[in-house]
Amino acid sequence: MRELELYFGPQHMGMVGNMSITLKAEGDRILEAQTNPGWLHRGFEKLMEYRTWIQNFPMVCRINVIEPDSMEMVYAMGVEKLAEIEVPERANYIRTIVLELSRLSSHLFGCWAYANMLGFDTVAQWAMYHRDLVLDLLEELTGARVYHIYIWPGGVRRDLPKGFKNKVLETLHTIGSSVPDYDATFFNNRLFYERAKGIGKITREEAKELGATGQILRATGMKFDIRKVEPYAVYDKVDFEIPTRQDGDAYSRVWLIRDEMIQSVHIVMQCLEKMPQGEVYNRIPNPFKWKIAKGEAYVRVESSRGELGLYMVSNGEDKPYRVHFRTPSYPHGLIILEKLLENASIADVGNTMISLYVIAPEIDR
Amino acid sequence: MNKLLKGELESAFKDVLVNILEDTRLAAIAPKDAVLSILSFLKNKGYDHLALISCVDWIEEGELELVYVVSSYLQKNNECTGNEKLHIILKTRIPREKPESKTVISVFENAEPYERELHELFGINFEGNEKLTPLFLERDYKIPPFRKDFDTREYVKETFDKIPFVEEEKE
Repeated sequence: MRELELYFGPQHMGMVGNMSITLKAEGDRILEAQTNPGWLHRGFEKLMEYRTWIQNFPMVCRINVIEPDSMEMVYAMGVEKLAEIEVPERANYIRTIVLELSRLSSHLFGCWAYANMLGFDTVAQWAMYHRDLVLDLLEELTGARVYHIYIWPGGVRRDLPKGFKNKVLETLHTIGSSVPDYDATFFNNRLFYERAKGIGKITREEAKELGATGQILRATGMKFDIRKVEPYAVYDKVDFEIPTRQDGDAYSRVWLIRDEMIQSVHIVMQCLEKMPQGEVYNRIPNPFKWKIAKGEAYVRVESSRGELGLYMVSNGEDKPYRVHFRTPSYPHGLIILEKLLENASIADVGNTMISLYVIAPEIDR
Repeated sequence: MNKLLKGELESAFKDVLVNILEDTRLAAIAPKDAVLSILSFLKNKGYDHLALISCVDWIEEGELELVYVVSSYLQKNNECTGNEKLHIILKTRIPREKPESKTVISVFENAEPYERELHELFGINFEGNEKLTPLFLERDYKIPPFRKDFDTREYVKETFDKIPFVEEEKE
């Protein structure tokens, strides 16, 4: 049969985000896949070397469009580690709440993408609606819907507004009470099972070898989560589970997204309950004259897709000398996706990619 | 734990300098030829997760510094032992004029895209990596763009100021 070269994306119905895959196919079978990132390369890491420690905050959140808060968190943690700044207890609780709400909104977006790709339009619209409710909360808290610039070295920008706790509880109850609907229409649906079972299967050994983290690794049965491995904020003070599955396929990964959302809701509820009173930020030096002593740091958090790391070097100046983000989608999109698409069918390309939860701006940076 | 690893690393390799930065952080400085064997040594010890390969351009010293961040996944019984908190930052310096190093794909397969990125943005040649093709950029650059002597403003001026405005073209 004749060998064909196919271009999948960046404008394609089955593609979420600006990324493209070049496929070599024979009939319906893919011989070789090649990921082409770079459509969103803005050179943020270079630009950050020209700006002061604080000026970088409006930029760092734009690296990941879907879940900006974990980017802010990892950058704030890096600056705090280099400058040795303490964070007040209450600020840590608020950070955890924001991070989990953000994870919830990101996972709902992931549900939208996956359900939409499979043709479950109703479920997709529900997920989008519920994501919007979470964004409403974040808007009230931070003043912005998408890029919050709320987590700050030394704490958070401001305290929770009046009556915010009840609004969060109300929204979480609304979302939580629709879980049976999601289950009945989507997660327990035979169509979802048939379409996702066995797609993009990866073993634990392969996943470890290729640097996988997040749902891809947890879907193979390993309880690897930075929130438990190296707790930050107040994750060591709240009680939550790390959901895992054994099969390592798209079906397991999408189920994990659902289970993690339920854990996120539990974490937010506990934080709202346990939160102490007090200051929400420690004063930092004048940002215009703020120089940080020489040093380097590698910090990491668990973003909604896996291990998000930051390697940062300070040269004793008012600007970072080098910033490098280790984003979870980087190995997922550039090697694992290519490996999983070998010998797959063309109809499964979107399915595999979206189940790997690859976000293109995170790869390009 | 970190003291134990420091001792093991120093006894196994002669020219490695190990610093304990914190309880959970270990920095090792090694010559570039030893990197591959140190990484495979660490992998056999259970530090099997290569999180990142980065590069820092120390322009005043005329050197590029390759940085390998290695930590570990959960081991057999699948429970946190506290051991996973430890991460090792392995650093090696290569001259800016002749930026060459050996690939570490044979130890960590996921090194491939990181090396590809550093090849494109810093101009480092990784011997043995066959896929050093362009990753993000579409133009050719005289100086690799993430090096410190690449001036972004000048580049923008040179490249984009030559393109005429739409109105000018009509006239």
